[in-house]
Amino acid sequence: MGYLRQVRSSAPAPLLETSCLGVYERELDYIYETLQRLGARSPEIEDLAQEVFLVLHRNWAELDISRPFRPYLFAVAFRVVCAHRRRKRREVPYEHLDPEDLTVGPEESLQSKQSARVLMAALDTVPLQRRAVVVMHDLDGVAIVDVAARLSLTRFGAYARLRKARKELASAVRRISREGVRR
Amino acid sequence: MRPGDELTDEEVAEIIARGSQVRRAPDVVRARLLARARGAVAAAERARAPTFNFERAPPRRVLRIAVAAIVLLAFAAGGAAAMIHSRATRAEAVEVAPVRSASQLPVPPPAQAAAAEVPAPRASSRPRSFHRVLTPQESYAAELGLLRGAQSEYASRHFSDALALAGEHARRFPNGRLAEEREALRVRSLAGAGRADEARRVLAAFAKRFPRSVLLPRLQESARTAED
Repeated sequence: MGYLRQVRSSAPAPLLETSCLGVYERELDYIYETLQRLGARSPEIEDLAQEVFLVLHRNWAELDISRPFRPYLFAVAFRVVCAHRRRKRREVPYEHLDPEDLTVGPEESLQSKQSARVLMAALDTVPLQRRAVVVMHDLDGVAIVDVAARLSLTRFGAYARLRKARKELASAVRRISREGVRR
Repeated sequence: MRPGDELTDEEVAEIIARGSQVRRAPDVVRARLLARARGAVAAAERARAPTFNFERAPPRRVLRIAVAAIVLLAFAAGGAAAMIHSRATRAEAVEVAPVRSASQLPVPPPAQAAAAEVPAPRASSRPRSFHRVLTPQESYAAELGLLRGAQSEYASRHFSDALALAGEHARRFPNGRLAEEREALRVRSLAGAGRADEARRVLAAFAKRFPRSVLLPRLQESARTAED
Protein backbone atom coordinates (compact mmCIF):
# COMPACT_ATOMS: atom_id res chain seq x y z
CA MET A 1 0.00 0.00 0.00
CA GLY A 2 1.37 3.33 -0.88
CA TYR A 3 1.58 6.23 1.46
CA LEU A 4 -0.19 9.53 1.38
CA ARG A 5 2.05 12.40 0.70
CA GLN A 6 1.09 15.93 1.52
CA VAL A 7 2.06 18.41 -1.14
CA ARG A 8 1.63 22.12 -1.21
CA SER A 9 -1.14 23.01 -3.57
CA SER A 10 -1.21 26.33 -5.28
CA ALA A 11 -2.91 28.95 -3.13
CA PRO A 12 -6.63 29.09 -3.79
CA ALA A 13 -7.63 32.09 -5.84
CA PRO A 14 -8.57 34.75 -3.27
CA LEU A 15 -12.16 35.79 -3.39
CA LEU A 16 -12.43 39.52 -3.23
CA GLU A 17 -15.23 40.67 -1.03
CA THR A 18 -17.49 42.33 -3.50
CA SER A 19 -20.70 43.14 -1.70
CA CYS A 20 -21.15 46.59 -0.29
CA LEU A 21 -22.17 45.26 3.11
CA GLY A 22 -19.27 42.83 3.16
CA VAL A 23 -16.74 45.56 2.44
CA TYR A 24 -18.37 47.79 5.05
CA GLU A 25 -18.17 45.03 7.64
CA ARG A 26 -14.55 44.36 6.79
CA GLU A 27 -13.59 48.02 7.01
CA LEU A 28 -15.82 48.90 9.95
CA ASP A 29 -12.96 49.09 12.43
CA TYR A 30 -11.07 51.40 10.11
CA ILE A 31 -14.10 53.64 9.58
CA TYR A 32 -14.74 53.79 13.31
CA GLU A 33 -11.11 54.59 14.07
CA THR A 34 -10.95 57.21 11.33
CA LEU A 35 -14.07 58.96 12.58
CA GLN A 36 -12.57 59.04 16.05
CA ARG A 37 -9.35 60.47 14.69
CA LEU A 38 -11.35 63.14 12.93
CA GLY A 39 -12.89 64.13 16.23
CA ALA A 40 -16.21 62.26 16.24
CA ARG A 41 -17.25 60.97 19.62
CA SER A 42 -19.81 58.75 21.24
CA PRO A 43 -23.17 60.41 20.70
CA GLU A 44 -22.67 61.07 17.02
CA ILE A 45 -20.09 58.57 15.80
CA GLU A 46 -22.60 55.83 14.94
CA ASP A 47 -24.71 58.24 12.92
CA LEU A 48 -21.62 59.38 11.05
CA ALA A 49 -20.55 55.79 10.34
CA GLN A 50 -24.02 55.13 8.98
CA GLU A 51 -23.68 58.19 6.74
CA VAL A 52 -20.38 56.82 5.45
CA PHE A 53 -22.12 53.55 4.69
CA LEU A 54 -24.96 55.31 2.87
CA VAL A 55 -22.48 57.16 0.65
CA LEU A 56 -20.69 53.89 -0.01
CA HIS A 57 -23.94 52.14 -0.85
CA ARG A 58 -25.13 54.95 -3.10
CA ASN A 59 -21.90 54.98 -5.11
CA TRP A 60 -21.22 51.28 -4.99
CA ALA A 61 -21.95 50.63 -8.67
CA GLU A 62 -19.36 53.18 -9.82
CA LEU A 63 -16.59 52.25 -7.38
CA ASP A 64 -13.47 50.50 -8.57
CA ILE A 65 -12.95 47.96 -5.81
CA SER A 66 -9.72 46.68 -7.27
CA ARG A 67 -7.98 49.87 -6.12
CA PRO A 68 -7.02 50.55 -2.49
CA PHE A 69 -10.22 51.30 -0.71
CA ARG A 70 -9.17 53.02 2.48
CA PRO A 71 -8.16 56.35 0.91
CA TYR A 72 -11.65 56.53 -0.59
CA LEU A 73 -13.25 55.65 2.74
CA PHE A 74 -11.13 58.23 4.49
CA ALA A 75 -12.18 60.93 2.05
CA VAL A 76 -15.83 60.03 2.56
CA ALA A 77 -15.43 60.02 6.33
CA PHE A 78 -13.65 63.37 6.18
CA ARG A 79 -16.43 64.97 4.15
CA VAL A 80 -19.09 63.48 6.39
CA VAL A 81 -17.36 64.90 9.46
CA CYS A 82 -16.94 68.31 7.79
CA ALA A 83 -20.62 68.39 6.84
CA HIS A 84 -21.57 67.37 10.36
CA ARG A 85 -19.49 70.17 11.80
CA ARG A 86 -21.03 72.68 9.46
CA ARG A 87 -24.42 71.52 10.60
CA LYS A 88 -23.46 71.93 14.20
CA ARG A 89 -21.80 75.25 13.35
CA ARG A 90 -19.37 75.09 16.18
CA GLU A 91 -15.95 73.70 16.82
CA VAL A 92 -15.51 70.50 18.76
CA PRO A 93 -15.10 71.68 22.33
CA TYR A 94 -11.96 70.92 24.25
CA GLU A 95 -13.70 68.61 26.72
CA HIS A 96 -13.86 66.05 23.94
CA LEU A 97 -10.33 65.25 24.95
CA ASP A 98 -11.98 62.93 27.41
CA PRO A 99 -11.12 59.57 25.89
CA GLU A 100 -14.14 57.74 27.29
CA ASP A 101 -14.75 55.86 24.06
CA LEU A 102 -11.23 54.87 23.27
CA THR A 103 -11.96 51.27 23.90
CA VAL A 104 -8.97 49.03 23.74
CA GLY A 105 -9.02 45.32 24.02
CA PRO A 106 -7.42 43.64 27.01
CA GLU A 107 -4.83 42.11 24.72
CA GLU A 108 -3.39 45.51 23.96
CA SER A 109 -0.51 46.57 26.10
CA LEU A 110 -0.81 49.40 28.54
CA GLN A 111 1.76 51.26 26.51
CA SER A 112 -0.17 51.16 23.26
CA LYS A 113 -3.35 51.99 25.16
CA GLN A 114 -1.70 55.03 26.64
CA SER A 115 -0.21 55.97 23.27
CA ALA A 116 -3.60 55.72 21.61
CA ARG A 117 -5.09 58.01 24.23
CA VAL A 118 -2.32 60.55 23.94
CA LEU A 119 -2.43 60.47 20.16
CA MET A 120 -6.18 60.83 20.02
CA ALA A 121 -6.11 63.74 22.46
CA ALA A 122 -3.27 65.36 20.50
CA LEU A 123 -5.11 64.92 17.20
CA ASP A 124 -8.08 66.74 18.65
CA THR A 125 -5.97 69.86 19.00
CA VAL A 126 -4.97 69.95 15.32
CA PRO A 127 -7.47 71.78 13.09
CA LEU A 128 -9.53 69.36 11.04
CA GLN A 129 -8.27 70.33 7.57
CA ARG A 130 -4.67 69.75 8.58
CA ARG A 131 -5.49 66.79 10.77
CA ALA A 132 -6.98 64.96 7.79
CA VAL A 133 -3.71 65.28 5.89
CA VAL A 134 -1.49 64.11 8.73
CA VAL A 135 -3.76 61.19 9.62
CA MET A 136 -4.04 60.05 6.04
CA HIS A 137 -0.34 60.34 5.29
CA ASP A 138 1.42 59.58 8.56
CA LEU A 139 -1.01 57.15 10.18
CA ASP A 140 -2.66 55.47 7.21
CA GLY A 141 0.44 55.56 5.03
CA VAL A 142 -1.22 57.05 1.95
CA ALA A 143 1.13 58.73 -0.53
CA ILE A 144 0.91 62.51 -0.54
CA VAL A 145 -0.16 62.55 -4.21
CA ASP A 146 -3.17 60.42 -3.33
CA VAL A 147 -3.86 62.47 -0.21
CA ALA A 148 -3.95 65.61 -2.35
CA ALA A 149 -6.20 63.96 -4.92
CA ARG A 150 -8.61 62.54 -2.37
CA LEU A 151 -8.90 65.71 -0.35
CA SER A 152 -9.08 67.95 -3.44
CA LEU A 153 -5.85 69.81 -2.62
CA THR A 154 -2.86 70.77 -4.69
CA ARG A 155 0.27 68.80 -3.93
CA PHE A 156 1.92 71.90 -2.55
CA GLY A 157 -1.09 72.61 -0.36
CA ALA A 158 -1.04 69.06 0.97
CA TYR A 159 2.67 69.31 1.80
CA ALA A 160 2.19 72.67 3.52
CA ARG A 161 -0.64 71.30 5.64
CA LEU A 162 1.31 68.17 6.45
CA ARG A 163 4.33 70.14 7.62
CA LYS A 164 2.30 72.37 9.88
CA ALA A 165 0.13 69.54 11.17
CA ARG A 166 3.18 67.47 12.09
CA LYS A 167 4.55 70.33 14.16
CA GLU A 168 1.23 70.86 15.88
CA LEU A 169 0.79 67.17 16.53
CA ALA A 170 4.28 66.68 17.94
CA SER A 171 3.97 69.65 20.25
CA ALA A 172 0.52 68.49 21.39
CA VAL A 173 1.86 64.99 22.06
CA ARG A 174 4.66 66.50 24.13
CA ARG A 175 2.32 68.76 26.07
CA ILE A 176 -0.25 66.05 26.73
CA SER A 177 2.38 63.54 27.76
CA ARG A 178 3.81 66.13 30.15
CA GLU A 179 0.48 67.03 31.67
CA GLY A 180 -1.16 63.62 31.35
CA VAL A 181 -4.37 62.94 29.42
CA ARG A 182 -7.28 64.76 30.98
CA ARG A 183 -9.80 62.49 32.55
CA MET B 1 6.15 57.94 29.87
CA ARG B 2 5.85 59.88 33.07
CA PRO B 3 3.95 63.17 33.28
CA GLY B 4 6.47 65.98 33.59
CA ASP B 5 9.12 64.51 31.30
CA GLU B 6 9.94 66.23 28.03
CA LEU B 7 9.82 63.75 25.15
CA THR B 8 12.48 63.42 22.53
CA ASP B 9 11.60 63.39 18.83
CA GLU B 10 12.03 59.61 18.74
CA GLU B 11 9.66 59.12 21.66
CA VAL B 12 7.06 61.32 19.99
CA ALA B 13 7.42 59.35 16.77
CA GLU B 14 7.08 56.13 18.73
CA ILE B 15 3.89 57.28 20.42
CA ILE B 16 2.43 58.26 17.08
CA ALA B 17 3.46 54.96 15.51
CA ARG B 18 2.05 52.92 18.40
CA GLY B 19 -1.16 54.90 18.51
CA SER B 20 -1.70 54.61 14.80
CA GLN B 21 -2.89 51.01 14.88
CA VAL B 22 -6.49 50.45 13.88
CA ARG B 23 -8.23 49.07 16.92
CA ARG B 24 -11.26 46.87 16.88
CA ALA B 25 -14.51 48.74 17.42
CA PRO B 26 -16.53 47.52 20.42
CA ASP B 27 -18.66 44.49 19.57
CA VAL B 28 -21.88 46.15 20.57
CA VAL B 29 -21.14 49.12 18.31
CA ARG B 30 -20.25 46.79 15.45
CA ALA B 31 -23.48 44.90 15.89
CA ARG B 32 -25.55 48.09 15.97
CA LEU B 33 -23.80 49.57 12.93
CA LEU B 34 -24.13 46.41 10.88
CA ALA B 35 -27.79 46.08 11.80
CA ARG B 36 -28.40 49.67 10.71
CA ALA B 37 -26.50 49.15 7.45
CA ARG B 38 -28.45 45.98 6.68
CA GLY B 39 -31.67 47.84 7.40
CA ALA B 40 -30.68 50.60 4.98
CA VAL B 41 -29.86 48.06 2.26
CA ALA B 42 -33.16 46.26 2.77
CA ALA B 43 -35.07 49.55 2.62
CA ALA B 44 -33.25 50.56 -0.57
CA GLU B 45 -34.03 47.21 -2.17
CA ARG B 46 -37.67 47.42 -1.18
CA ALA B 47 -37.85 50.88 -2.72
CA ARG B 48 -36.16 49.70 -5.91
CA ALA B 49 -38.18 46.50 -6.37
CA PRO B 50 -40.76 46.96 -9.15
CA THR B 51 -44.32 46.13 -8.23
CA PHE B 52 -46.06 44.08 -10.90
CA ASN B 53 -49.77 44.03 -10.97
CA PHE B 54 -50.42 40.70 -12.60
CA GLU B 55 -54.16 40.86 -12.15
CA ARG B 56 -54.48 43.83 -14.43
CA ALA B 57 -51.93 42.69 -17.00
CA PRO B 58 -53.33 40.68 -19.91
CA PRO B 59 -52.69 36.93 -19.50
CA ARG B 60 -50.54 36.72 -22.61
CA ARG B 61 -48.15 39.35 -21.25
CA VAL B 62 -47.84 37.47 -17.98
CA LEU B 63 -47.04 34.34 -19.97
CA ARG B 64 -44.34 36.18 -21.93
CA ILE B 65 -42.77 37.52 -18.77
CA ALA B 66 -42.78 34.05 -17.23
CA VAL B 67 -41.16 32.51 -20.30
CA ALA B 68 -38.51 35.23 -20.36
CA ALA B 69 -37.79 34.67 -16.68
CA ILE B 70 -37.45 30.91 -17.17
CA VAL B 71 -35.07 31.39 -20.11
CA LEU B 72 -32.98 33.85 -18.11
CA LEU B 73 -32.83 31.49 -15.14
CA ALA B 74 -31.77 28.63 -17.40
CA PHE B 75 -28.98 30.76 -18.84
CA ALA B 76 -27.84 31.84 -15.40
CA ALA B 77 -27.86 28.25 -14.10
CA GLY B 78 -25.93 27.10 -17.16
CA GLY B 79 -23.35 29.84 -16.69
CA ALA B 80 -22.94 29.06 -13.00
CA ALA B 81 -22.55 25.34 -13.71
CA ALA B 82 -19.93 26.06 -16.39
CA MET B 83 -18.03 28.31 -14.00
CA ILE B 84 -18.09 25.72 -11.20
CA HIS B 85 -17.00 23.04 -13.65
CA SER B 86 -14.10 25.13 -14.99
CA ARG B 87 -12.99 25.98 -11.44
CA ALA B 88 -13.12 22.35 -10.41
CA THR B 89 -11.03 21.26 -13.38
CA ARG B 90 -8.53 24.04 -12.68
CA ALA B 91 -8.23 22.98 -9.06
CA GLU B 92 -7.72 19.36 -10.07
CA ALA B 93 -5.08 20.35 -12.57
CA VAL B 94 -2.92 21.98 -9.95
CA GLU B 95 -3.55 19.53 -7.14
CA VAL B 96 -2.95 15.89 -7.77
CA ALA B 97 -2.05 14.63 -4.33
CA PRO B 98 -4.84 12.75 -2.53
CA VAL B 99 -4.47 14.59 0.78
CA ARG B 100 -5.63 18.10 1.42
CA SER B 101 -5.04 19.89 4.63
CA ALA B 102 -7.91 21.85 6.12
CA SER B 103 -6.30 25.15 5.24
CA GLN B 104 -6.05 24.19 1.59
CA LEU B 105 -9.70 23.32 1.16
CA PRO B 106 -11.53 25.64 -1.19
CA VAL B 107 -13.49 28.40 0.44
CA PRO B 108 -17.16 27.43 0.59
CA PRO B 109 -19.72 29.79 -0.89
CA PRO B 110 -21.18 32.18 1.69
CA ALA B 111 -24.58 30.48 1.70
CA GLN B 112 -23.05 27.21 2.86
CA ALA B 113 -20.39 28.59 5.11
CA ALA B 114 -22.40 29.50 8.14
CA ALA B 115 -19.30 29.85 10.25
CA ALA B 116 -17.21 31.55 7.59
CA GLU B 117 -15.97 34.91 8.66
CA VAL B 118 -14.35 37.85 7.03
CA PRO B 119 -11.47 38.59 9.38
CA ALA B 120 -11.25 42.22 10.33
CA PRO B 121 -8.13 43.84 8.92
CA ARG B 122 -5.87 44.79 11.80
CA ALA B 123 -2.83 45.90 9.84
CA SER B 124 -3.36 49.21 8.15
CA SER B 125 -0.78 48.38 5.48
CA ARG B 126 -2.97 45.63 4.00
CA PRO B 127 -6.18 47.19 2.87
CA ARG B 128 -7.74 43.98 1.59
CA SER B 129 -8.40 40.73 3.34
CA PHE B 130 -9.98 37.58 2.04
CA HIS B 131 -12.53 35.04 3.15
CA ARG B 132 -11.22 32.30 5.32
CA VAL B 133 -12.87 29.65 7.37
CA LEU B 134 -12.31 30.07 11.08
CA THR B 135 -10.89 27.18 13.02
CA PRO B 136 -13.29 25.64 15.58
CA GLN B 137 -11.34 27.31 18.39
CA GLU B 138 -11.49 30.71 16.72
CA SER B 139 -15.17 30.46 15.97
CA TYR B 140 -15.92 29.34 19.51
CA ALA B 141 -13.89 32.24 20.89
CA ALA B 142 -15.75 34.65 18.59
CA GLU B 143 -19.10 33.17 19.64
CA LEU B 144 -18.15 33.39 23.27
CA GLY B 145 -16.98 36.97 22.92
CA LEU B 146 -20.23 38.07 21.32
CA LEU B 147 -22.44 36.30 23.83
CA ARG B 148 -20.39 37.50 26.77
CA GLY B 149 -20.93 41.04 25.53
CA ALA B 150 -24.63 40.36 25.10
CA GLN B 151 -24.84 38.89 28.60
CA SER B 152 -23.10 41.89 30.10
CA GLU B 153 -25.46 44.26 28.27
CA TYR B 154 -28.37 42.22 29.56
CA ALA B 155 -27.00 42.37 33.09
CA SER B 156 -26.74 46.17 32.75
CA ARG B 157 -30.38 46.19 31.55
CA HIS B 158 -29.36 47.49 28.12
CA PHE B 159 -31.77 45.11 26.45
CA SER B 160 -31.64 46.57 22.95
CA ASP B 161 -27.84 46.28 22.90
CA ALA B 162 -28.08 42.73 24.19
CA LEU B 163 -30.53 41.95 21.40
CA ALA B 164 -28.27 43.57 18.82
CA LEU B 165 -25.35 41.41 19.91
CA ALA B 166 -27.50 38.28 20.03
CA GLY B 167 -28.76 39.15 16.54
CA GLU B 168 -25.19 39.50 15.33
CA HIS B 169 -24.40 36.11 16.82
CA ALA B 170 -27.44 34.62 15.09
CA ARG B 171 -26.29 36.06 11.78
CA ARG B 172 -22.73 34.86 12.05
CA PHE B 173 -23.32 31.56 13.81
CA PRO B 174 -26.92 30.50 13.14
CA ASN B 175 -26.14 26.93 14.25
CA GLY B 176 -23.23 27.76 16.52
CA ARG B 177 -22.36 25.85 19.62
CA LEU B 178 -23.87 28.57 21.77
CA ALA B 179 -27.10 28.87 19.78
CA GLU B 180 -29.14 27.59 22.70
CA GLU B 181 -27.69 30.16 25.09
CA ARG B 182 -28.18 32.89 22.49
CA GLU B 183 -31.84 32.09 21.98
CA ALA B 184 -32.33 31.93 25.74
CA LEU B 185 -30.73 35.34 26.08
CA ARG B 186 -32.98 36.69 23.35
CA VAL B 187 -36.07 35.50 25.20
CA ARG B 188 -34.90 37.04 28.45
CA SER B 189 -33.87 40.30 26.77
CA LEU B 190 -37.19 40.61 24.98
CA ALA B 191 -38.98 39.87 28.21
CA GLY B 192 -36.83 42.41 30.02
CA ALA B 193 -37.58 45.03 27.39
CA GLY B 194 -41.29 44.40 27.87
CA ARG B 195 -41.76 42.97 24.37
CA ALA B 196 -43.92 40.15 25.64
CA ASP B 197 -45.38 39.06 22.29
CA GLU B 198 -41.98 38.69 20.68
CA ALA B 199 -40.61 36.99 23.78
CA ARG B 200 -43.43 34.46 23.58
CA ARG B 201 -42.81 33.87 19.89
CA VAL B 202 -39.06 33.38 20.35
CA LEU B 203 -39.76 31.16 23.34
CA ALA B 204 -42.05 28.96 21.25
CA ALA B 205 -39.32 28.60 18.63
CA PHE B 206 -36.83 27.85 21.40
CA ALA B 207 -39.06 25.15 22.90
CA LYS B 208 -39.44 23.56 19.49
CA ARG B 209 -35.73 23.63 18.76
CA PHE B 210 -34.45 22.72 22.21
CA PRO B 211 -37.29 20.74 23.80
CA ARG B 212 -35.06 19.21 26.47
CA SER B 213 -33.24 22.39 27.39
CA VAL B 214 -32.71 22.90 31.09
CA LEU B 215 -33.19 26.61 30.46
CA LEU B 216 -36.78 26.15 29.31
CA PRO B 217 -38.63 26.40 32.67
CA ARG B 218 -36.88 29.62 33.63
CA LEU B 219 -37.49 31.13 30.20
CA GLN B 220 -41.17 30.30 30.45
CA GLU B 221 -41.20 32.02 33.79
CA SER B 222 -39.45 35.09 32.32
CA ALA B 223 -41.93 35.29 29.47
CA ARG B 224 -44.82 34.98 31.93
CA THR B 225 -43.38 37.76 34.06
CA ALA B 226 -43.13 40.01 31.00
CA GLU B 227 -46.80 39.45 30.23
CA ASP B 228 -47.91 40.44 33.72
